[in-house]
Amino acid sequence: MPGGSAEVIGRRRSRGAAGSSDPDAASARKRAALVLPALVFILVLFVYPLLSLIGTSFDDHGGGLSLAQYSRAIGTPVYTKILVKTLWVSAAVTALCFSLGYPLAYALSTARGLLKSALLFAVLMPFWTNLLVRAYGWIVALHPHGLVNSALLATGLIREPIPLVYNTTGMLIGMTQIMLPYMTLPLSAAMERMDLRLIHASRSLGASAPRTFLHVFFPLTLPGVFAGALLVFVLCLGFFVIPALLGGRSDILIAQLINYNLTTTLNWSFAAALSTILLVTTLGIYLIAHRWFRLGMLWGERA
Amino acid sequence: MAKRKRDSHRSSSGLTRRRLLATGAASAIVAAAMPLRRSYAAEEVVYATWGGSWEEAIRKAWFDPFTKKTGIAVKTVTGPDYGKIRAMVKANHTEWDVAEVNPDFQWIGPREGLVEPIDYEIVDKSVLLPETDFITPYSVPEAIWSKTMVYNTKKFSLEDHPKSWKEFWDLKRFPGKRTLYSKVTGGALELALMADGVPHDELYPIDVERALKSLDKIKDEVIWYDTNAQAVDIMANERAVLASMPDGRALFAIGQGAPLAIEYNESQLDWTSFVVPKGAPNRAGAMKLIAYMASIEGQAAIALAYTYGPVTPKAYNLIPPERARILSGGPQQRGKYVLVNNRWWGENRDKVSERFDAWRLS
Repeated sequence: MPGGSAEVIGRRRSRGAAGSSDPDAASARKRAALVLPALVFILVLFVYPLLSLIGTSFDDHGGGLSLAQYSRAIGTPVYTKILVKTLWVSAAVTALCFSLGYPLAYALSTARGLLKSALLFAVLMPFWTNLLVRAYGWIVALHPHGLVNSALLATGLIREPIPLVYNTTGMLIGMTQIMLPYMTLPLSAAMERMDLRLIHASRSLGASAPRTFLHVFFPLTLPGVFAGALLVFVLCLGFFVIPALLGGRSDILIAQLINYNLTTTLNWSFAAALSTILLVTTLGIYLIAHRWFRLGMLWGERA
Repeated sequence: MAKRKRDSHRSSSGLTRRRLLATGAASAIVAAAMPLRRSYAAEEVVYATWGGSWEEAIRKAWFDPFTKKTGIAVKTVTGPDYGKIRAMVKANHTEWDVAEVNPDFQWIGPREGLVEPIDYEIVDKSVLLPETDFITPYSVPEAIWSKTMVYNTKKFSLEDHPKSWKEFWDLKRFPGKRTLYSKVTGGALELALMADGVPHDELYPIDVERALKSLDKIKDEVIWYDTNAQAVDIMANERAVLASMPDGRALFAIGQGAPLAIEYNESQLDWTSFVVPKGAPNRAGAMKLIAYMASIEGQAAIALAYTYGPVTPKAYNLIPPERARILSGGPQQRGKYVLVNNRWWGENRDKVSERFDAWRLS
């Protein structure tokens, strides 16, 4: 949602810049008025809560300001470990979604007719199934006497059941399945928008298929890759149901900790500090990615 | 005379019709408003519950008879988490009159200024079990529940199964996965101490380091569950062969045909409590409802509907023995349980939870 508004505001600004030559200032004002409801919405429901969250994290419970929550969060190794684990898991799920989603998106963008509908249905299917149902489904499939292990044992590929659930593997499998549509859809959109004449040009000029893919096709899908990766990564940062159900002893992600402090120990200042640290870290990663990969392309910024 | 009246009606028929229409409309409005007004005016208590089959049970055992007796309706909402209580109190807009909570809230609630004192003029303290910390100025015990050892009967027999936590910890004699509750307050630390030979009356204050060292010995064989439903799933589908889990959930699974049995020795007895959130709109009604639920009669009724145990010992006089035997804290468990020290947990949870998470990650 903030992304959507950024796009609107960004577009308006770029028009405004070119708009010194715009003869109709009144229409510009009208356009500004159109943005107003969205702006108010964002201010009231996003900016204000965000600021009050950050304020809470500095609350010393006596009306003053304090850095105590931050020194606890940063000074206690367990919290940095959990934060690093959260980032690591999110990155791993993003990478898995990319490697599974890219071929899938290609198939989706080239398929026609019934096949396309079937593929699209398969991609969107997870959206229509309850999260808990899916998690329990994975437990049934992955546990030592479950479908996957039984099949592997029957083919003789393994002799002992391999531990696939109640550990990090199980958590990654579950999260990847849930996140896959967020990667696949922007990717296939990018592929469908592509001007295929560029591919034909590359081939007719003598480039091999792999070369065409690497130098023409893949670079053209990069905005889709970044959009998908960003969505998956950021959504993963907030996961707490799947790690709890499919993960093992060491699979604690930061959202679980925030939830625990919010609802059980009632330490809201600490929960707010953890949230703020997560937010700042995410923004930091975004800025680095922005510098390196020109993520601004996603929001319609000019390269 | 009748005729004259009819005539007079006729003579002023226009007016009459108008009046009739007006009266009709007015009475229609009143009629339509009646049920609305009545439900608005009738007294109501809002009760925050954990929901599910428990909610169905308390509605039948407590709320319906209470409403019949007093005319006070009880409306339920689900999910009585502490965060919601705090949010309501902070916003000066409390919507709940009674909430059922874990007993650590008996200390967290007053410390954070989130609960009203209980009116013991209305709630009868004298019938309640006089265990330490059961009754506080801000809370009344609701029900007794317990976590017991549960074992798979295909894997272990009645004669040869772990009968103490020391034996539960013996991976060679009783091999297979175990499942324990993943939250620090879930009892694992106490079990680890008992397994390590700490006497029952010396469990608190918990020696956290010693408990974790003891847990280290079995950690690779433990599946940590996050919700009780998960524990049922793990045990019923034989993903683990031993568990520490609520007796009620185990009984439920056994009733559904799961190959499980309960070992009551060294079980952990715990309880739940009623609190009245600060600023509750109907505090007087809340006290009346709590008084009813915590009475001998109310406690016997819920014990017949659900396998939690009564907090009023005299309720057992109203419960048939075959029912009493499956209730938490019932005769089958006497002398075999350890009471959870919820006060210690209320005061130490933050710190211990941090240490426990660090252990989980190590």
